[in-house]
Amino acid sequence: MRPILLSGHERALTQVKFSKEGDLIFSVSKDHIPSAWYSANGERFGAYKGHQGALWTVDVDPTTTLLATGGADNTMRLWEVKTGRELKKWEFPTSIRRCEFSEDGRQLLGVTEKRTGQLSNVVVYDINPDPDAEQTDEESLRIVVEELPRVTVAGFSSLGRYIITGHDNGSVAQWDAKTGELLNEVYSHEDGMSVTDLQWSADRTYFITASKDKTAKLHDTQTLEVLKTYVADTPLNSAAICPSPTEYVILGGGQAAMDVTTTSARQGKFEARFYHKIFEEEIGRVRGHFGPLNYVAVSPDGKCYCSGGEDGYVRVHHFDPPYFDFKYEVEKEKQRELGF
Amino acid sequence: ADSAKRSTADKAVVDARRRMLSEWFAWRDRVTEDLRDERLSLGLEERTEEQKALDVDEEEGSKVVE
Repeated sequence: MRPILLSGHERALTQVKFSKEGDLIFSVSKDHIPSAWYSANGERFGAYKGHQGALWTVDVDPTTTLLATGGADNTMRLWEVKTGRELKKWEFPTSIRRCEFSEDGRQLLGVTEKRTGQLSNVVVYDINPDPDAEQTDEESLRIVVEELPRVTVAGFSSLGRYIITGHDNGSVAQWDAKTGELLNEVYSHEDGMSVTDLQWSADRTYFITASKDKTAKLHDTQTLEVLKTYVADTPLNSAAICPSPTEYVILGGGQAAMDVTTTSARQGKFEARFYHKIFEEEIGRVRGHFGPLNYVAVSPDGKCYCSGGEDGYVRVHHFDPPYFDFKYEVEKEKQRELGF
Repeated sequence: ADSAKRSTADKAVVDARRRMLSEWFAWRDRVTEDLRDERLSLGLEERTEEQKALDVDEEEGSKVVE
C-alpha cells in the first residue's frame, strides 16, 4: 500500500473525514486550522481560518458544500467547503467535542463538554444546505444528559430517527431524535472505559464503537445489540467500517510512551489494525505513525483509508488489488453459490 | 490421530465461519429491505444523499449531473 503523508498540521490530529465522494479529506488538530486535502495525491485543497483553540471535531455534508467544525474555543462553526468562507458560528459555555451531520445534511448535532456547573448537552440545529442562506441560531433540540455520564461521541442514525451517544463509562445510548427522549441504554464496553469513537455503516443501520477497554464493537442501530467484538491489545481511539463489498473494519489506537506505566510494557503499537468484520479475526496491520492513531477513516468508495496521528501527520493509504481479492474459503464458497 | 484431531478442529472453525457468514447476510438482507420499505413509505428515494454522492459517470470519471 502506497502511503501519502499529509504534512501541514503542527499539532496532534484529532479527527479526519472523507467527503462522501471520497475525493477530499478534512482534518482537524490541536492547531487551530481545519484543512482539506485531495485524497488522490495529498495536495492541500484549502484551510478554514477563524477558530482560536484546539479543534476536536469535523464533519462534511453529503454534497461537500458545508463543513462543520468544533473545538476548545467553545464554538461550533459552519464553513463553505469551496471558498473557505465562515458561514456561521454557534457559541457555547464549554468546548464542542463532537459534531456530525445527519445523512441528508439537513441537521447538525454538537456535543458540548461536561464541566463544573455544566452538563454534557447534545444540541441539534436545522441546516439550510444553501451556503448563501442564513443559518439559524435556534436549536431544534437539546438533550441535557443528566442521568448518564459524560457524552464523548454522538451521531444520527438512518432516517435521522435516533441520536446515538457514547459515554465515558463505556455505555451507549439511543435517543429519539425528535423528542430527545432516552429510549435505550446498553453497557457495551468495560465499566469506566470511555467510548472514544462511533462510526456508521454506509446506510447507518449499524455502527462501530471504539473504547479504551481495547475493544471495538459493532452495534445494531435499532436494538443496540452488540453484533461483533474486535479484541485489540491496546486502548483504541477510533474504529471505521469499510464499505461493502469489503468486509473489514479498521481500528486505531495505541498508548503514548508517557502513559505506559510498567517498564515491561512494549511501547508504541502505533499501527492501524484490520479485522474481518464478520469473523472478528485480525487479518493485518499497517505501521507508520510515531504516536497513537487518534482517528481512522475509510473513503466511502472503499479505495483508500487515512489515519490521523498524535505525531501530527495524516497518512493516506490507497489499497492494492490483493486487499480486495483476499477472501476466506467460506466467502469464496458463498460467492460461487450466488453465481459470481 | 493428531492429524485427524486437527482436521476435526479445522472443520469446526470452517463450519463456525460458514454459520457467521450466513447469519450476517440474512440479517443484512432483512435490515436493508426494511429500510428500503421505510424510505419509500416516507416518500424518500431508495438511497440516501450520502449514498448518491458516490454516483460517478464511469466513462467520464466525473460526477453525474442530474
